[in-house]
Amino acid sequence: MARGNSNDYAVVWPRSAKAVEIKPLAGRLDTIEGKTIAFLWDDLFRGDEIWPILKQELSRRYAGATFVDHDAFGSTHGDDEHRVLAELPGKIKSMKIDAVVSGMGC
Amino acid sequence: MLRVSAIAEQAGVPTSSLCCEGFLGQAKTTSVGLGYPNLALATVPGHVDVQTKEELQANVLGTTVEHVIRNLTGEIASVQVTVDPDPQDIVFEGSFEEVNRLFLENGWSDGLPIVPPTKEKIAEFLAFTDLPPDHAIGKLLPDNRMATVWNVAANGVMAGCRPEYMPILVALAEAMVDPQYGVEHSGNTPGAETLIVLNGPLIKQLGFNYEQGALRDGFQPNTSIGRFWRLYLRNVAGFLLHQNDKGTFGNTWRVVLAENEDSLAKMKWPTTAADMGAPAGESAVTISRFTGGNVIVSVFGDSAEKLLPYLGNALVTHTGWEVIFTVGMATGTYRPLLVLSPLIAETIAKTMTKQDVQNWLFENARMPARLFEKYLWGWTNLVPGKRTLNDWVRLGRIPKAFAGSDPERLVPVVTRPEHIMIAVSGDPLRSNCYLFVHNGMLGFPTTKTVKLPQAWPTKLRDAQS
Repeated sequence: MARGNSNDYAVVWPRSAKAVEIKPLAGRLDTIEGKTIAFLWDDLFRGDEIWPILKQELSRRYAGATFVDHDAFGSTHGDDEHRVLAELPGKIKSMKIDAVVSGMGC
Repeated sequence: MLRVSAIAEQAGVPTSSLCCEGFLGQAKTTSVGLGYPNLALATVPGHVDVQTKEELQANVLGTTVEHVIRNLTGEIASVQVTVDPDPQDIVFEGSFEEVNRLFLENGWSDGLPIVPPTKEKIAEFLAFTDLPPDHAIGKLLPDNRMATVWNVAANGVMAGCRPEYMPILVALAEAMVDPQYGVEHSGNTPGAETLIVLNGPLIKQLGFNYEQGALRDGFQPNTSIGRFWRLYLRNVAGFLLHQNDKGTFGNTWRVVLAENEDSLAKMKWPTTAADMGAPAGESAVTISRFTGGNVIVSVFGDSAEKLLPYLGNALVTHTGWEVIFTVGMATGTYRPLLVLSPLIAETIAKTMTKQDVQNWLFENARMPARLFEKYLWGWTNLVPGKRTLNDWVRLGRIPKAFAGSDPERLVPVVTRPEHIMIAVSGDPLRSNCYLFVHNGMLGFPTTKTVKLPQAWPTKLRDAQS
């Protein structure tokens, strides 16, 4: 246990390396105009009030944008969490979704 | 929320994650563990719970919408990759005080002095498992670090455990990585804390306290293994205050609750582990997160009929917003734990099995439907849509016992009788009981048997001599 000085301790790191590969984000959109934006929600913290405000403002600025509401997916937290997350890649493809807004972290 | 964004980014579409102002730090650290350190966040100023509709609209239009547009169309923030040490590298040599200062400064300690994790001490722990040091137990969110036999031993050393506790520590890590438990929710704002219940021969072999003061620190196995749990959550799962642990208040870690199996055997009642399906005769740990608890003092009466109404009342009066785990957010996952002192349990057991007690409590420990619904969506905003209990029954999601036209009708606090967990521990000669209120799927009861190494009796005898 002791090294050099008899009162010293040589210790190891109590953690372990992150078991996840650092990946690049997806490419960003050139514009929101003409794109399909989906909202996924964890059924918490007034996302059902915030999304309509966002949607209305985005529609005002980008008249050609379309939107997919959260009820097309189900709640991302609680009962259906695992199913909704598992189905998401397939739904992004089948619904031709261009970008995702996810809430709420509160 | 961020797991959704990570999956979407993986699928090739840009994302924007909506985040209240006080949670941006947590979001940034969680993003690293998801493999996307630069997930794009859109700020919602303040906290939405206390904003008027007008304030919320102003905040979203004034800040959030600009962030969303920038997140989806703007430049991507650069990533800084940090290089971690190898777990078996010596990271520091120094005195006890210097080691402790280093561990505190790096967030590797809980604020109490730790036993320095030297390779020699870790080797003593490794001798109490047949698994190799690099055995991967599983990944732990949110940091997404691998739980290994080596880092279980390192954190066990730090917590002040004895080497022969190692089989229990490994079982706890196995339980922590089990998806059923939901470790990723351990940093949520209610700040619930895990209780470890131990059953089996190891209670006596390792000297756990299961009698008077069963939930108090003071006995080395109960105390140090409880501390290990929280250190492991910190160092391997990555739950640190002001980062991924957002408990508004939180609790200190709980000591291990060992059941009084002599009393259980006398009553012919199953142990908690047996209720959870663990094989008879083996030791097992059961973990679950509880938002709080309270002692039920001086339960008075000489029969089950006289004792149960007070216990039923405690179950109802201590259950509040947690009914969102009975109906709503995670239906059917509320699992409160009633700890009976042997004196009370044995009085009840004169005429009732444990199952009888669960059935009685299911039928009689009830709250007004009006109050139940207040918790779901009146006083909280945790279950959207303002669905009534009758709606949930119509959807076939909960039993008919919740339905009715009278808002004052009494409804159960769990969806099934067996969801009321019952353990026996504490002072054998006092009539107090204890109730733990549960955090539902955000720490669902999970049981693992403890695997002992070859030549356990010899190794244990040597360690204790």
